[in-house]
Amino acid sequence: MADLGVMALLLGMALSAYSVVGSVVGEKIGMAELVVSARRAMYMTLAAATVASAALVNAFVQNDFSIKYVADHSNSLMDRAFVWVAFYSGNEGSLLYILLVLTLISVISIWFAPKRLARSMPWTIAILAAIQLFYFGVLAFVASPFELLDTVPLDGRGINPLLTHPGMFSHPPLLMGGLIAITIPFAFISGALLAGNYGDDWIDVARVLAIIAWGVLGAGMLLGAWWAYTILGWGGYWAWDPIENVALMPWLVLTAFIHSIMVQKRRGLFRMWNVALLNIAFVLAQLGMFINRGGPVVSVHSFAASTLGIIFMIFMLVSLLFAFGLFLWRMPHLKSDRVMESFMSRESAFLVNNFLFLAVMAVTLWGVLFPLFSDLARDVSVSVAAPYFDRANGPVLLGIVVMMGIGPLLPWRKASARSLKQWFIWPTLTGAVTIGTLLALGVDRPIAIFAFGVVAFVAASILEEWWRGTAARHRSGDNWAMSWWRLVNGNRPRHGGYIVHISILMLGLGIIGTNFYQQRTDGALELGQSLVIDNYRIEYVDNGSSNRPDRIAQWAEMSVYRIDEDDYVVEFETARADGATGFTLEDSSMRANDELLGGIEPWHGFYVDFNMASVRSGIRSTIVEDLYVIPRDFLADGRVSLAVSINPLAWWLWASGPFFIIGTMVALWPQAAVERRPTMKKIQASAEGEN
Amino acid sequence: MFRVRHVAALFFIPLYFGVTLHGESKVMASRFPFVLSGSRALPNNSALLVVAALFLIIFVSAIGCIREEDITLEQRAHQLAAQLMCPVCDGQTIDGSSAQISQDMRLKVRELLDEGQTNAEIKDYFVLRYGEDILAAPEGSGFNLLAWVVPVFIVFGGIGIALVAIKNMRKAGIQAKSSPLPAQKNGDLSDFLAQVDRDLSGPPDSLTSDQDPKSPSPANQNEEANF
Repeated sequence: MADLGVMALLLGMALSAYSVVGSVVGEKIGMAELVVSARRAMYMTLAAATVASAALVNAFVQNDFSIKYVADHSNSLMDRAFVWVAFYSGNEGSLLYILLVLTLISVISIWFAPKRLARSMPWTIAILAAIQLFYFGVLAFVASPFELLDTVPLDGRGINPLLTHPGMFSHPPLLMGGLIAITIPFAFISGALLAGNYGDDWIDVARVLAIIAWGVLGAGMLLGAWWAYTILGWGGYWAWDPIENVALMPWLVLTAFIHSIMVQKRRGLFRMWNVALLNIAFVLAQLGMFINRGGPVVSVHSFAASTLGIIFMIFMLVSLLFAFGLFLWRMPHLKSDRVMESFMSRESAFLVNNFLFLAVMAVTLWGVLFPLFSDLARDVSVSVAAPYFDRANGPVLLGIVVMMGIGPLLPWRKASARSLKQWFIWPTLTGAVTIGTLLALGVDRPIAIFAFGVVAFVAASILEEWWRGTAARHRSGDNWAMSWWRLVNGNRPRHGGYIVHISILMLGLGIIGTNFYQQRTDGALELGQSLVIDNYRIEYVDNGSSNRPDRIAQWAEMSVYRIDEDDYVVEFETARADGATGFTLEDSSMRANDELLGGIEPWHGFYVDFNMASVRSGIRSTIVEDLYVIPRDFLADGRVSLAVSINPLAWWLWASGPFFIIGTMVALWPQAAVERRPTMKKIQASAEGEN
Repeated sequence: MFRVRHVAALFFIPLYFGVTLHGESKVMASRFPFVLSGSRALPNNSALLVVAALFLIIFVSAIGCIREEDITLEQRAHQLAAQLMCPVCDGQTIDGSSAQISQDMRLKVRELLDEGQTNAEIKDYFVLRYGEDILAAPEGSGFNLLAWVVPVFIVFGGIGIALVAIKNMRKAGIQAKSSPLPAQKNGDLSDFLAQVDRDLSGPPDSLTSDQDPKSPSPANQNEEANF
């Protein structure tokens, strides 16, 4: 098996090399057959990568512990379902996975590339093949997943326990897939530039490919956040960890790109700018790969430090030089012939929003790199973690949300005062009323209140537009649901975008709630005792444990009650006098208004081989708040020590996921596949209705 | 006492009104004075400044409402713990980590808080013993000030570049076109306001945007057809 894998990798390497040389030489000397054969060689790399991957999967399935990677990342006890996870759980396997994704999407996108890009395809193929060549080479010679062990162990080491969670089936593959997928739109644009194809032919392809990469990456990050929240017991979902940041940065730039590409599509502006954005996104993705592979920054995520770091750093620098060298070389040809007409136009709003996205990206990059500068400049190490990013990026992110409300309400070219007035009055009022209401109710945290106001403003702007568009169609005879559906279908990129905006607002609610209003308390409970926080009582009812060869697991069964604070006035006052948020009750007799809400089962496992603990939080989630219980430890004296928090609005974080995905799909759905072009009569009818 | 979750439900009420009132009171609505006017509104429009000032006032006055006494010592302990790194873990704060040293440090934080020390004093305590990298965010002084100043330059520099770029692109546009709109020529709003007054005195029907054939909308429909 190992031999087959190595052979496939070497073959893939040869095919990729041939594809690069064949494309370039064939194009230069005008030999069409050579170009075609280079393209076919490109298709064959997919077969090579597939065979190599299949060989590795087969080795896992057969428990072939003579292969070092298999012995290190699985054992005979492992649930077979986790073979898929084990496949990419280590350095070498994840590289193979990335290569598989890269070859797959390369082949698909080349196969389906539109005819009008034919002139630039050889160059696109050459770029993609060159990147594949790099990965094949690394896998064959530096980080081979098929390395054999001299002595075959009886059993493998097992899979990393943190990875045995359903989230792991999708989070890492989506994240890695999204990062590598940025390569494809980059290759298409760079190919066009190399071929001297300076028109706007590549807009649609680049837009679709970029949205795919962006959607996959975004979904991957969201799943990662969910995973951290439910399983890692960090008590949080986003830690601004370097590895999270390097995934976020290209995503931000792609977000800017998929907005500004619309400006190019509609108005012919920003051509040069769009090329630059995609170049930045691509280079940042390479930075992500580099930091992921033993880069210089400390992270909970990174693979063990390895010599791969230097190789990926070189590859990143080469990418940087290539992307921007090409850009500068072709820049004179990229100038737009169109002009901006007004500050008050959607295109200018998009430009401002682009710069805000880039600003968040740059600030994040600065935060990631600052410890290195500090080390170099004065030999003092500093940490840059969540508190820094919250403060440095928070205001700009809020600004982006504000622009999310303003931009779509502005028309292209130029807004008349009339339309500004018409369209902004309700969103502005809604935002102001929200702020006023919250203030009147005596809610504290002014920044959060302002942020709520902004969210309301944007939500109102989206609803307003949907309302008007739907009402117009409704008047022409459709029912409400149908009218809305027609509205969305009439312009999918736009309304898909709105659906994504709604998901971002939901995310925003969750972020505001959990960051500004979280309540925390710690406590250790004996069986039968209760912990009270706010209006929850958590009673430790029972516990259980299981010893398995790989882990010692313990869990607590707890009942959650809603209480009336008036029943506990004395205890609350004592606790507050002690400076405590919650308190422990010795006896668990029910008081008058206690109401059983349900049970939770926080779980704590210790993995002997890995000397690693893994916890599953007990979460009771509602639309307004989560009761979140992390079992920190099961103590020797029989108590369980808990970190308990109330995370307001956390539910919205995860509810945003489906909206994000649906919105992305709507935006991507090919417009040509929509119903037939409406007849002239219908156009007139709707024109009357709408205007 | 109100808490945010009580308010979360109320949060949607304004939205509801925003939608339902919408059809009826458009005439009223369009009289609100704080809406921007004119296509060159951004650089020299006093209405915008008023809006900005209003928001600023609400914002600043509300900041005074925060009182440290409202926060229990335990809440403060958690906030502090989230600002201190765990010395033996990779990139985790002591608030999130279950390592023994993190537990000890959390207890120490609580102890110092009970002694009545301020947040700054407690941070200093740990910096003295563990070094600067115990802080999850660098302090804003000395060399570390750079960490905080650079983002400000990035953000304002970025917005500045964007605005200058738009301005330049516009200038080219104005030169290319011979007849800019009146409102653009002199930045004077009187013509426009007169027009608004005329419009307002007209029959209400013509003001409902959905039926007014002249009113431009963001979803300008001929553009919408093939986005």
